[in-house]
Parts: sequence; C-alpha cells; structure tokens
Amino acid sequence: MEQSDEALCERVAGRDEEAFDLLVARYQQRAYRLAWSILRDAEEARDLSQEAFIRLYHTAGSFQGRARFSTWFYRILVNLCLDARRRRRWWRAVGPVERDDGSSESVIEQLPAPEVDPTEAMDRQAVLARVWRAVDGLSPQQRAALLLQVQEEMATADIAAVLKCSEATVRVHLHRALMSLRKTMGKG
Amino acid sequence: MRVSDAELMAYVLGELAPPEADRVARAVAADETLRRTAAEFRELLDGLRAGAPEPPAVHWGAYGTALRARLAKRRGRSRWGDWRRWPVPLALSASLAGVLLLLAVQGAHGPAERQEAAAVDEIMLGQRLDLLRDFQVVERLDLLEDLDILQSLGPAPGTREG
Repeated sequence: MEQSDEALCERVAGRDEEAFDLLVARYQQRAYRLAWSILRDAEEARDLSQEAFIRLYHTAGSFQGRARFSTWFYRILVNLCLDARRRRRWWRAVGPVERDDGSSESVIEQLPAPEVDPTEAMDRQAVLARVWRAVDGLSPQQRAALLLQVQEEMATADIAAVLKCSEATVRVHLHRALMSLRKTMGKG
Repeated sequence: MRVSDAELMAYVLGELAPPEADRVARAVAADETLRRTAAEFRELLDGLRAGAPEPPAVHWGAYGTALRARLAKRRGRSRWGDWRRWPVPLALSASLAGVLLLLAVQGAHGPAERQEAAAVDEIMLGQRLDLLRDFQVVERLDLLEDLDILQSLGPAPGTREG
C-alpha cells in the first residue's frame, strides 16, 4: 500500500534514504515546473528545486504534520524562488532578459502593447500566450499566488500557508494579478 | 452594495460560504462592472489552467544523480560545520583533557616509587648518623646527594661536640 507523503516525511526525519528517494520521485517534476514558472530559467529552476529537496532532507524533523506535506514543501521551494528573484531583480531592471530559447528581450519589449491587434485578439491561443508572457511581469507574490492557484490547483488556504500570509491577502494578490492580465487581453 | 476585491475573488473561486455567497452573487448581478469583471476573471483562470507553458525537458536520471551528489557533499560539509561551530567548548575540552593527562603522567610516578625514594633516604641517613650531630645539615636533607661535598666541610661555626 502506498505510503502518504506525511508518513514518508517522518521516515526521512529518521534518515530513511528510500523514503527520501520516493518523495523526490513524487515531487521532482512539480517542483521543477513551479520553480521554472516563477523564475523562467531552467538551470536556476533545477538548482533551486534540488536545493528545496536538500532542505527537506535536513529539516524533515521539523515537519510536525500540522499542514499537508505539499504545503510545507512548496513553502520551502517558493521561498527559495522568491528570494532568488529578489536578488536578481535589480540586475535585470534595465538589462535584457535571456530566455531559455537563447533569445533576449529588453524591458521595453516585455511591456504589453498599448493597443490590441483585432485579428490577434480573435486568436485565443495567441492571446493566452501573451497573457502567460504578462505573468512574467507580475510582482513575485502575485505571480506565486497565481501559479499555485492555476498550476498546482491549490486552495486559497493552502496558498496562504505557503506564502505565510492571510487568505484575504492571497485573494487580493490574485485580484490584482488578474486585473493586470486583463489589460493584455485588451479588456478592463 | 459594495463587494471588496477579496470577496469578489473568493466568489469567483467558489470559496464563499452560502450566506456570504448569496450576498455577493446578488451584488454582482446588480452591478454591470462587477459582473463583467467576475466573468473575465473566470475566463482568464480557465485559460491559464489549460494553456500553462511547459518548462524545458529535464533528464530525470541526471537530475537525481546530481541531487544525491549535492546531498552527500552537504552532509560531509555539515559534519565539518558542526565541528567549527563549537570552537570554544572544543578548546575547553582539549585543555581539560591535557590537564587530566598531565596529572595522570605525574601520578605514574606513584606510591611505589615514592616509597623507594624514602627508603633510600633512610639508608643514607642511617649510614651517616654522625651528621645528625650537625643539626643544620640535617635540616637540609636534600643535600644528601652532595655527601662528598658535605664531608669536606668542617663543623659549622658555634657548634659543640658531645
């Protein structure tokens, strides 16, 4: 019978290597994807998701089971990613942003177009692609809250636990994020 | 009726309890701006969920190997780190160990050796009982090792035989 994440975490606290490997296998893809969504850098996403697993290994004893394991683990991961973004944000304030495909965009090019091409507006795929690019321009907290909601499908209470804020604050982050993204759709 | 941003978001996400949900639903229905906003929020959320971009592919075998290597290195470093975090207690422990070792070494010249030394002194004293007449010499028994020197000395001034 498959053990729960919480039970595996308890075994990791006892330095059970097999339990640690099982947790890594369960969460590595989600951790990497979430880190990449926040950071938009594959190498950094690999690095920080691995760092999150290392911290999990060393602090498993402090997981007391009051929250779900995923909430506890995502808090570690999201904090690492947000700290990384804060550290590099001022470096990239005016410089070009390198993307994973090797192309680069200046800050000006990253801004949403002031007017919407009507033909592009009718192309839903193109619109959503622009919306996702606009997600990159959200504040770290708004971006994290939105990604945890739409990618990880977490409830507001769990997002609040990850971001260590109130549920009302999470909803305000989401509201502001969506108000910003509406503009890229030529609405609002 | 005013609806806060947090309440509108909770309504869109379906997280309001029935009495509160009914109140907000009525407010949204009565306000064109709120109605349009709620509809666009739902459309955006549905679109984001369906069209999330995927990150670049990862070779998970290499990922796992790199992770284990980092973990092993971190565990090795943390042992050193533990040692370095406790310099003062470590120094005190080392000092105490040194003192105890010193006492142990000194104590190795133990009771048997001390008894032996005392016996030699007694024998030497017995052989030179005549020196007892010169009390000043007796007071300085540590000079017994220099008997030949003492023998060459004459009686101390101011002493009487008999």
